[in-house]
Amino acid sequence: MSERSQASNPFSRRDFLARSAMTAAAIPSLGALLAACARDSGGSATPSASATGLQLASPENPVKWPIAADNAPIAAGLKPEQGATLRLYNYPDYIDPAALKSFEKKYESSYVKVEVSTFNDTNESLAKIRGGSVPFDVYFPSYDQLGKLVAGGLVQPLSQSYISNIDNVWDEFKNPFYDQGWQFTVPYVVYTTGIGWRTDKIKEDIGALANPYDALWDTKYTGRTLVLDDYREVQAMTLLRSGNFNLNESDPAVMAKVLEELLKMSQTVRPKVAITNYSDLPEGRVDLVQAWSGDMVLAQSYMPEGEDPSVLRYWFPKDGKGAIDNDTMVILRGAKNPVLAHLFLNHMLDYDTAFANFAFTGYQPPQKKITPESLVAEKFLPPGLAAATVLPSSFTKGSRKLELAPDVEAIWQANWQQFKAGG
Amino acid sequence: MSVVAPESAPETVAPRPTARRRVSPIWPALSIPAIVWQLLFFLLPIYVVLSLAFGDLDPIFRTSIPIWNPLEWKFGQVQFVIDNVFGGFYMDPLIRTFVFVGIATMLCLVIAFPVAYYTARYAGKRRGILLFLLLAPFWISYMMRMLAWVNLLQNDGLVNSIITLGGLLGPVDWLSGRPFTVIGGLTYGYVPYMILPLYASLDRIAPNLLEAARDLGASKFDVFRRVILPMSIPGIAAGSLLVTLPMLGDYFTNDMLSGSPQTSMLGNLINTSISTPGGAGKAAVLILLLLLLLVGPMIWYVRTTSKSEGLRT
Repeated sequence: MSERSQASNPFSRRDFLARSAMTAAAIPSLGALLAACARDSGGSATPSASATGLQLASPENPVKWPIAADNAPIAAGLKPEQGATLRLYNYPDYIDPAALKSFEKKYESSYVKVEVSTFNDTNESLAKIRGGSVPFDVYFPSYDQLGKLVAGGLVQPLSQSYISNIDNVWDEFKNPFYDQGWQFTVPYVVYTTGIGWRTDKIKEDIGALANPYDALWDTKYTGRTLVLDDYREVQAMTLLRSGNFNLNESDPAVMAKVLEELLKMSQTVRPKVAITNYSDLPEGRVDLVQAWSGDMVLAQSYMPEGEDPSVLRYWFPKDGKGAIDNDTMVILRGAKNPVLAHLFLNHMLDYDTAFANFAFTGYQPPQKKITPESLVAEKFLPPGLAAATVLPSSFTKGSRKLELAPDVEAIWQANWQQFKAGG
Repeated sequence: MSVVAPESAPETVAPRPTARRRVSPIWPALSIPAIVWQLLFFLLPIYVVLSLAFGDLDPIFRTSIPIWNPLEWKFGQVQFVIDNVFGGFYMDPLIRTFVFVGIATMLCLVIAFPVAYYTARYAGKRRGILLFLLLAPFWISYMMRMLAWVNLLQNDGLVNSIITLGGLLGPVDWLSGRPFTVIGGLTYGYVPYMILPLYASLDRIAPNLLEAARDLGASKFDVFRRVILPMSIPGIAAGSLLVTLPMLGDYFTNDMLSGSPQTSMLGNLINTSISTPGGAGKAAVLILLLLLLLVGPMIWYVRTTSKSEGLRT
């Protein structure tokens, strides 16, 4: 399958970049093009190609990445490397150590060791991967980095016969918009972005408000809130609050309004800007937070002894029209142990491993067997947190934070810097 | 007596090199480690920061790429920062940084001076144990100490339950972006750096000078104002510098005790820039800005200390 697509692909990676550059030269002004795109479709379209040769994938514009001739997938049925150290590159505390142990045990006969290195942000990780000083095998990117990883020739195509457990996860991940035909990625976890709070500190039912996002701008809660330290998430929430579901907004006027709202929030409610809500909320440092669903699942285990985790609540729009995303696993091109890396991906898609990993990280794998009902019934989640499970249906209705064209990205970043500077 | 003794020591060594006509290459060679150190850990990093500040962005990865050749340096990022420092959104955090650091330094001085003075003049036999206790906080990492404060200052924390008389009065929101909490945290974190140099300089004041001043009719206040204070200026300068320099670049205290943009300082701006994709170049410009700001106090320090050295010899 992948061999065929490769043969039918007339471009090598270098060709691809060169042609894109020529296209760029032919386009007089990217800004004008973007503006035109935005106007044509009411601001919801993302251009499929930018001046940099970077293809921007979106659900309306799915991408099948070209596979370079010199970057073929490994052959099927190879033996795992002997006595190797499989190097994973991940966010801290984002994988269950038991999953690594069980992998080592499964391939005991090959004397495998698994080692995790961590990074704090993608800036750091991309720089290190490109530098190539450490030959990481498996990397855990969000899907919006994939275009860069492919264009930069940093990932290798998967040899799919090793990964039979792909059948365990939601079918859409066999053909996700960001990687048609799952040539490079398998899904790691799925999550939504919503609002978390504690019923013992906040009397109001936040989820029942006409517009729950308003609560984070409500001076009643001054000094008691937290928003995520993530330039996409907070601005995306501001857009959602105004009823704009295009979380990749490119219109400078709209983004100026977003900045205005952000500054208003900063000046009146003084939110903490951090990603530590999973401990700050249960330990009582804040009472109302913008949250990733996975962090609220994890928050239960941070509840101080003697306190009841059932006071935790999570809200995500019932109609599924909120911010939703997933992270992926890829094999890097510089991998020293490609066979083990494939086997590891398959291992992480195994239901038992995936569920144990869910329990450890709080982030849900898109396993078909996991449902909100089963999680509440098994007492994995208190009823108040049932909304923190991600449904395949909300995954189709939700809005994605996609890769942005460079000049749009610049607007988002400038807004964020200004917000964080505390004007 | 004891003050003069060490200064006479070098003179006995000094005549030696002149005894041999040819200067041995060994002596200049001894400076090589220091020169290598300076090159590797001072000049090279500064050059990297400069190359990033005047660098470019990778068109695909949106990461900052340094430009190593100064002839090709680009000024876009520097321009951006300068535009935003004067009248732009960097203005507020910069002013805030100066105000916070200024107040915290003054507080450090006000707290440290009596402590250092007591330890130097009145502690007697207990001086050793007192100095040890003053240094004890260094045995616990800065992060742990700040985390402890987060716990103490929480709405239902110990501090609130004491000052609100067990919950009779409403709790104070210490941790919700309050300037006084951040200033307090900075003061707490850096006050030992002020005490030690002050102690060292106060300890050097010969007691008979103070007695002489009293004998000549100076009041207690005059002794302080006209003898102790002028003689402790090198200590005050060293202490102020030691606390001011790290405070100006501090972002961690703020992150722990506030986390709100409303108390963002220069260090937080740098941190935000670095963790934004493609922001490393701007962070480099901000670092250079910080460096420029630090040059002022450093020149002042060098001048003050060299002047007082001159006085003594």
